[in-house]
Amino acid sequence: MSRLDDELRIAFRREPPPADFLTRVLERAALQPEPRPSWWQRLAMLLGTPRLRWVAIGVTALLLLAVSAVQYGRLRGAVTEDRPRVAEVPPHSEAGERDAASPAVDGSQDGGARSISTPRELLQRHRASTSQVKAPAHDDRQRVTIAEARAAKEKLMLALYIASATLNDAERAVHDDSPKP
Amino acid sequence: MVGWEGTIVLDKATAARLDDRIERSALEDELAFEQIVRRHQGMVFSLAYHYLRDRSLAEELAQEVFLNLHQNLNAIKSPEHLTFWLRKVTSHRCIDQSRRQKVRPQVSLEDVPEPAATAKENDLFLSEMLRRVVDTLPEKARMVVILRYQEDLDPMEIAKVMDMPLNTVKSHLRRSLSMLRDKLSRTLGEVAV
Repeated sequence: MSRLDDELRIAFRREPPPADFLTRVLERAALQPEPRPSWWQRLAMLLGTPRLRWVAIGVTALLLLAVSAVQYGRLRGAVTEDRPRVAEVPPHSEAGERDAASPAVDGSQDGGARSISTPRELLQRHRASTSQVKAPAHDDRQRVTIAEARAAKEKLMLALYIASATLNDAERAVHDDSPKP
Repeated sequence: MVGWEGTIVLDKATAARLDDRIERSALEDELAFEQIVRRHQGMVFSLAYHYLRDRSLAEELAQEVFLNLHQNLNAIKSPEHLTFWLRKVTSHRCIDQSRRQKVRPQVSLEDVPEPAATAKENDLFLSEMLRRVVDTLPEKARMVVILRYQEDLDPMEIAKVMDMPLNTVKSHLRRSLSMLRDKLSRTLGEVAV
């Protein structure tokens, strides 16, 4: 530390303020308006009264309930709208698909078996087959999805069956190996 | 309805207790504020006085700093934060004041009077001369020197107080000290400074 540092420290020693400095500051502080509370402080003060606090809690709870009820209603409406659509899909659509995909083959087979069909029957069958061909693509897609889902379900069942059989074998093996009392 | 009435009674009691607490808290706040002013008035006033070199201006500025603190007392988190806050606000206000009113004595380095006697015999004179030389420094450099030697802050702390890069603070200090050393060497003819 050099002499210059020391001299500077001496030169810049703290000076005592005027004797009445504190009094004057306190007087001016007393005259000052109260510090403005921030928005969250004001909110806390507003909810400071217990009754008001309960009112706020009640209103919030009611609002939440109303919103939940509306959401639940919407969800339920959507489910009930979807249900008839699912019900419309025939349970064995694979057969139906097959019929729709190859009406000519069926027709030839049927033609062989029922050679004595009346023209009216033939016309009705033709109309039915054409209406199935013209069915919207949406239904076809749904049927494909359902078929895939069924196949997946069967695979899953098979897997579960294999797993359960393996587990049974393992359990049996464990029981056989364990020393008998 | 008993429960409802009971609630009202409880509310009144709670409200009375709350009022009492608020009053006590306000009183405690006032007492705390008084303690703060009592404790830090020397620091705030000295910073302002050494910078502005005018007692009445320094007193006015120091009062404003404390009034500002009174308004923002809730934002103070700890005693260290309080000291930091006071130093920061005072130094920034001093610089603003200096810029606004041009209170800085317009004394060039060459105008600083040479001492007539040796430094040992005239410590007061030397101190006064040093203060005058510091007065000739640019605004920020002047505050850096005052914070360094009045408050004994290291460059890092000064950088934080003045919102300045550390290297700027260091260069201000280096340049100011070199200038002071030159001046003292010339006037006192000592190598030891």
